[in-house]
Amino acid sequence: MTVTDRPELEGLGNYKFGWADSDAAGAAAKRGLSEEVVRNISALKNEPEWMLDLRLKGLRLFGKKPLPTWGSDLTAIDFDNIKYFVRSTEKQAASWEELPEDIKNTYDKLGIPEAEKQRLIAGVAAQYESEVVYHQIREDLEEKGVIFVDTDTGLREHEELFKEYFGSVIPVGDNKFAALNTATWSGGSFIYVPPNTTIDIPLQAYFRINTENMGQFERTLIIVDENSYVHYVEGCTAPIYSSDSLHSAVVEIIVKKGARCRYTTIQNWSNNVYNLVTKRAVAYEGATMEWIDGNIGSKVTMKYPAVYLMGEHAKGETLSVAFAGEGQHQDAGSKMVHLAPHTSSSVISKSVARGGGRTSYRGLVQIEEGAHGSASTVKCDALLVDQISRSDTYPYVDVREDDVSMGHEATVSKVSEDQLFYLMSRGLGEDEAMAMIVRGFVEPIARELPMEYALELNRLIELQMEGAVG
Amino acid sequence: MGLNEKPLSTLHEKSSYNLDDFEVPTGREEQWRFTPLSRLKGLHNGTAAASGHVIVDVDAAPEVTVETVGRDDARVGKAYVPADRVSAQAYNSFEKATVITVPREVVTSKETVITLTGSGDGAAYGHIVIKVEPMAEAIVVLDHKGSAVYADNVEFVVGDGARLKVVSLQDWAADAVHVSHHHAQLAKDATFSSFVVTLGGDLVRLSPSVSYTGPGGDADMSGVYFVDAKQHLEHRLLVDHSEPNCKSNVDYRGALQGEEAHAVWIGDVIIRVAAEGTDTYELNRNLILTDGARADSVPNLEILTGEVAGAGHASTSGRLDDEHLFYLQARGIPFDEARRLVIRGFLGQLIEKIEVESIRERVMSAVEAELAR
Repeated sequence: MTVTDRPELEGLGNYKFGWADSDAAGAAAKRGLSEEVVRNISALKNEPEWMLDLRLKGLRLFGKKPLPTWGSDLTAIDFDNIKYFVRSTEKQAASWEELPEDIKNTYDKLGIPEAEKQRLIAGVAAQYESEVVYHQIREDLEEKGVIFVDTDTGLREHEELFKEYFGSVIPVGDNKFAALNTATWSGGSFIYVPPNTTIDIPLQAYFRINTENMGQFERTLIIVDENSYVHYVEGCTAPIYSSDSLHSAVVEIIVKKGARCRYTTIQNWSNNVYNLVTKRAVAYEGATMEWIDGNIGSKVTMKYPAVYLMGEHAKGETLSVAFAGEGQHQDAGSKMVHLAPHTSSSVISKSVARGGGRTSYRGLVQIEEGAHGSASTVKCDALLVDQISRSDTYPYVDVREDDVSMGHEATVSKVSEDQLFYLMSRGLGEDEAMAMIVRGFVEPIARELPMEYALELNRLIELQMEGAVG
Repeated sequence: MGLNEKPLSTLHEKSSYNLDDFEVPTGREEQWRFTPLSRLKGLHNGTAAASGHVIVDVDAAPEVTVETVGRDDARVGKAYVPADRVSAQAYNSFEKATVITVPREVVTSKETVITLTGSGDGAAYGHIVIKVEPMAEAIVVLDHKGSAVYADNVEFVVGDGARLKVVSLQDWAADAVHVSHHHAQLAKDATFSSFVVTLGGDLVRLSPSVSYTGPGGDADMSGVYFVDAKQHLEHRLLVDHSEPNCKSNVDYRGALQGEEAHAVWIGDVIIRVAAEGTDTYELNRNLILTDGARADSVPNLEILTGEVAGAGHASTSGRLDDEHLFYLQARGIPFDEARRLVIRGFLGQLIEKIEVESIRERVMSAVEAELAR
């Protein structure tokens, strides 16, 4: 970094090179990946031997697996210049003032309450009024026998359960980034819901104590036992600024017989981040798995939440919304694998591209032999609001059974002059009218979100659409 | 930003006249992963020597000229550059090409029928150019028969404001292998309609593609296929919209019956930055009639401009609708007859679009024969 005696320039330098890293933290965390780094992570966490072995296996497979040649261009990722383990307290900004201006503005526009701001910038270790409320929620859960802790604690306190399911849905070598995550994972949520338990409120990461809220390589493991229900909400709609260029999470979910799980996430990483995530669930007999997936931020996102339908009458559903602005590529979709008779799946994807951004729907529906009586529908709609943006649809269907019904449909359209004219003739500005049309377009997905998320999603769309016209 | 460094479209395959620019496919490539290479009888790896014959017989309308030309004729290979290994092999291996020209402003009085008959004695390669000069109108039928191991390229060059209707029948003997590219190049305000009927052959891989050289072009591509046990019938479409205000519409329907009946349909559409006002829709429907049949259906869409009139695709695969059958049975029609009626309705909607009556009747009776099995 340039040495200068002009304080205002120094500020600029911090912004450019990562506002969050104080010198001390920067020195403490090593860049690049090696066996030593992986061993260090494991040792720091006092992990059992089998976990270290798994991590090392992940490291080996990460080295062997090629970068995906499809999807977005990932060659710009410099794996040697990434810090693979940073303590969360060191990573997060210590105060409001340290945040870059645009992030602060966005928070203000979103109307995030002061307490939330504290949480967002300092993690949940900070004290704030709502602590009591969250504590109450934790007690209720404990009474029901629900385990809800961060993944590191999960491994320490529930090793047997953890060992049984960890890596059972997404094997170590599933893909290059799953291998990387297995080698370097830290943070995330570990949830176990005992049989016949319905959790009424959506579980959110910040209900946990002592948590590393958002990790670079977070690892989430959710087990929903028979006839239970849980709704888990990951992250939050507020933009998360991070100086790290790569985020690669793994989420594994096991939905047992008759159970139902809903997983909601709206990622809004700052637009320097490569967001390469592997999410997969297995659904047993009569179980339902629902992914609600929003992609607003990041530079590049490649994320295809999957459901493996293992038992009869299992059901998988994905609702996906993607928004790509300038310089962004949202390559998102869903994967449904039918392995048992009478299983059903549905995918609804909505994407909006503007300002030269690119959205891609990439999906797979696979109906294996024996999965007779299965049904699947895939519907993707894309909205283009200007001439320079781009939208692609790559659905993939593989049917190996005759007694199935399979449908796919896609439409790509631009915002119609008529709609704009109608709204503007009623006194709305062009910006407002455009934002309203986009909101209407994503409404089928927004209405599935918890209310506060839906409101925030709407505000985010307004922010994204600012300056989209004219 | 990374985005700009990538090739503009991932659907646009590379093209070259040179065989060496294409690696011998291994079956792992996106382009080849559905095709059982071992059944290509060497067409893909250069081992199929041109020892056989496919006899080209033209029954032309009186207004058109038919020529048989050598490899060096300037009109050959003008509109289409081979886009995969087998088409490059065909381009480098054919000896005589057939060039059919419909002169300027001429409306032909009857259809031109090109019959290609395989003699069943080894591999053969071919090339056909059909040139419709500005403002002319013609109907061309390609009728493939007999037993053959055949790779060819067919170029349709449709001039300004011209209209060309093509019917291509793949009515091969059961052991035939046919790999073919049909490329249509549409000039300003040209209209092109193609109707593909694929019934016979052990393996047929047909790749119809369309490109535009001026605004206002309109391509309508339909297809019907009936796949029986052990047959592999593959159709790979590519419509490359590079000019403004052009249209394309794709509608392929197929029925599958019997063990290891395999249908593949790929429908790629690119809308490039310049192609504002494009209107495109693709549809593929597969009706799976028995156990053990497999249908792969992959529509892909790449859109590089926001200024489109409409773009979409749809794909369905499934078995006969029980409700349809029940409806007919409730009116006293026996199950077998009801089933036949529904399938006939499903394919018949398309078959009705074939303008040449004799061909339409032949296709309809072929479908009837398949259903009677």
